Amino acid sequence: MNLLDISIALPLLLLAIGALVTLLTGAITGKQGAGYLIAILVAIGAGLWAMRPPPVLLAPNLGLSASGLSRFFTVYFCFMAAAVLIVSYKYNQSRDLYGEEYPATVLFATFGMVALAAATDMLLLFLGLEAMTFGFYILTAIDREREVAAEAGLKYLLLGALSAAFLAFGIGLLYCVGGTLAIDDLMRSTLAATSQRPLALAGWAFVLLGIGFKLSLVPAHLWAPDVYEAAPPPVVAFLSAGSKVAAILLLLFLLQGAGDSVILRVPLFALAVGSMVVGNLAALRQNRVRRMLAYSSIAQMGYVVVALLSQQGNGLQAAAFYAIGYGVMNLAAFGAITILETSGCGAEIDAYRGRGFSQPIPSAVLAVSLLALAGIPPTVGFTGKFLIFASALRAGETSLAVIGILTAAVSIYYYLRLVAALYLHQAAEQPARSAITAQLVPVLAAVLTVLLGVFPERLLLFLQAQFF
Amino acid sequence: MISLPVLTLLIALPTAGALLLVVMRKREHQAKYVALGLALVELLLASWTWTAAGNPAPAGAPPGFFLFEDFSWIDSFGIRFTLGMDGISLLLVLMTALLTIIAMLASWRDIQQRTVLHYALLLLMESSLVGVFLALDLFLFYLFWEMMLLPMFFLIGIYGHGRRIYSAVKFFVVTLAGSLLMLLAIIGLYLIHGSETGVYTFSFASLLGTSLGPSVGLWLYGAFLLSFAIKFPLVPVHTWLPDAHTDASTAGSIDLAGLLLKTGAYGLIRFGYPLFPEAARTLTPLLLISAVTGILYGSWIAFAQKDMKRLVAYSSIGHMGFVALGIAAWTPVALSGAVLQMVSHGVTTSALFAMVGMMASRTDTREISAYGGLWGKVPVLSSFFLLFAMASAGLPGLNNFVGEFLILTGAYPVARTAAILAFLGLVLSLVYTIWLVQQLLFQEERRAMPMVDASSREVLLLTILAVGVFFIGLHPGPLLEVMALPIEILTGGAR
Repeated sequence: MNLLDISIALPLLLLAIGALVTLLTGAITGKQGAGYLIAILVAIGAGLWAMRPPPVLLAPNLGLSASGLSRFFTVYFCFMAAAVLIVSYKYNQSRDLYGEEYPATVLFATFGMVALAAATDMLLLFLGLEAMTFGFYILTAIDREREVAAEAGLKYLLLGALSAAFLAFGIGLLYCVGGTLAIDDLMRSTLAATSQRPLALAGWAFVLLGIGFKLSLVPAHLWAPDVYEAAPPPVVAFLSAGSKVAAILLLLFLLQGAGDSVILRVPLFALAVGSMVVGNLAALRQNRVRRMLAYSSIAQMGYVVVALLSQQGNGLQAAAFYAIGYGVMNLAAFGAITILETSGCGAEIDAYRGRGFSQPIPSAVLAVSLLALAGIPPTVGFTGKFLIFASALRAGETSLAVIGILTAAVSIYYYLRLVAALYLHQAAEQPARSAITAQLVPVLAAVLTVLLGVFPERLLLFLQAQFF
Repeated sequence: MISLPVLTLLIALPTAGALLLVVMRKREHQAKYVALGLALVELLLASWTWTAAGNPAPAGAPPGFFLFEDFSWIDSFGIRFTLGMDGISLLLVLMTALLTIIAMLASWRDIQQRTVLHYALLLLMESSLVGVFLALDLFLFYLFWEMMLLPMFFLIGIYGHGRRIYSAVKFFVVTLAGSLLMLLAIIGLYLIHGSETGVYTFSFASLLGTSLGPSVGLWLYGAFLLSFAIKFPLVPVHTWLPDAHTDASTAGSIDLAGLLLKTGAYGLIRFGYPLFPEAARTLTPLLLISAVTGILYGSWIAFAQKDMKRLVAYSSIGHMGFVALGIAAWTPVALSGAVLQMVSHGVTTSALFAMVGMMASRTDTREISAYGGLWGKVPVLSSFFLLFAMASAGLPGLNNFVGEFLILTGAYPVARTAAILAFLGLVLSLVYTIWLVQQLLFQEERRAMPMVDASSREVLLLTILAVGVFFIGLHPGPLLEVMALPIEILTGGAR
């Protein structure tokens, strides 16, 4: 390991060491905020480091890449972690969640995401993915007072372990066929061979199933509603904006190498349609906000798969853009839900009635993010959906585009239901104030949701440069 | 001569105003005046653009557009911030600016709670409507097209009556679901044009000449037509309208009937026919049937209403049916009539909704059968009501007559049966209007109700509208003149 390698691996090292240091602060200072402060600073520091142009683009000894896309998502994950930690601080206090394990685990999970974003071979990819998911098993169940959280955490763990086994097995099978773990080579050799080698076919099936679980695609989506409902809301924000975006990135890396493979089209088509239809229809029937958003996220992942299927129409660019937009929208939504729940708002949609006027700021943030998720302009949700459907039509996937737009039309109803609860229903007003610090991140995320929707050009050009 | 980006300003000013209102939300009283002041400035600005009418098209502008602004936006997708104004958009923008003021004045006293938000929403609505009428980039047009739903949703849902939440959600979901397919059609057109010419652009002027296969053209136009027909609203996709109109607040109804419905007709004139001339011609019979059905059905159902707001709402379906007839005929005379009728209907319907609002706020009921004998009790209100009702029924010398007359004369040579049936509809509308006037004004008083005559604010707003009624009715020349060139270009190109 030489200096160049270290320079590229520094964000990873910072996150790992930072996590350990965070764990130790409790023993040394005993102060509440110290662990959070260190973790936030470490995350921001790692993000800033990744922003500077690297001396070389590849650290082959470590299997790490410092390509534009990897660094961009490194920055994204690090800043997202810092934002989530800021949101979590007040909430965890209100839930009597003391201790440094929370910020440390967030950093460990971020470590996994960053490793995944920078990986150039399958092994590191898998390690990153599992390090990340492992963090989320803990974070989901960290609120020990809530029995449902423990239950959801267990369900997540069991299904997650199963899917990890599938994924590892699939990678193993592909290795048998391809004889390499480097992502690009493996994609090319195994996809070309699928017609002759059933092993490669089986390998791909297992890999897709494993990724389908992380993305909560139908039919591997059953964990999502329980986890979304039971985990602390900042954790859900991180799960959506971090874990899911990382899984999108993983699929994007694989498919980028795969090119325009016919073999993968059929299962991905089924996953996309299933997720869009089932997710949106199931969300219609939910009465609890977080469950509804869980099904909505299932559907949203379906749209991303549509984009990934439309590589010929700049689909990768659309998918990456939508992933970022999705992360920002979810940070805003669950950041707002965190504030609302801290001030005593229940889980049912009816509990949100009239909040628009008693708690105007978090409600406005939630409304903006809901409308963005529904794809109403001028938000990043609209621009992202527009890009996805444009790429689908351009790639000739007309049926996917039509199914997507019809299910999007259905989805408007349930998002609007919550907006209507916030603003249209009368309720006894109980004004509640929340700290400015708690509101800062969600408000920024909401502003970003609109700004990215109106001025997407720079991000688009950057992404375009990465894929061509 | 006008170096200022007036068109951009016309869109930005109300939005900036709305943001300003949010900042000063604690000072409710001043906020109302600030909102009204901004709306007045907007009206002045819009009127000022009339001075540019007749100027030759600036560089880069499509023919007929005397104001044109084009800024770089999302260039990697061929999306630009392109705005243009021709005679047709000028009239509609002016009407938007005027009716926004009317809507503010009409709800001046009615809105007691969340006042500032109400005016902020009206301003946002104005911004997106002006955007729809000015956008010359299809992406931009679609953006404004969807954006206008949001303020309307809140106007109905927060400030409405009755089943306001149901109506607001229904309005939003139905209209948005219709426009989503148009989004696909816009992208489709963009891609076809791109693959034909190698230039991927959403610019309306460039997309005009795209040659489409007959079946592709039909599909794309069908998606546009559906979206426009829902806004219009044409039978049978009109079902959101009676609910939304009835349950909206007075200002909401004025914005909805006066302005929002016009976007459907405008879209068909500006984009539907010019972009897909052949498909539009193929589907013209469908539009004709729908128009005539709307005229007859709207008038017939209006007659059966017990609630006067619902009656006015159904009458809108009839009147917009005339606009659809004028567009379907696509002759210069009929099309001028259609545009004129859009403006006229905006004025008369807003006036009627405002008056219904005034009466309902005095008596707390909109039941027609509760009223009677108003003529003797409140002469000023009654005479205004008589005037607007007669205008709505198409009395010669008043505004609606001119538009309907032009539409019928223009449509008769090309669609004889439709024109005759539409004329029958005109008679029907006379029947229910006279019935309404008789019930409210001249019948014996049926229930003792507190009724005071119009306040000076009400007289002011009704007078403004009455001037509009007489002006268009007696001297429509300037309006017809300003729209003559764009209509000549439109009809010359398509037939």
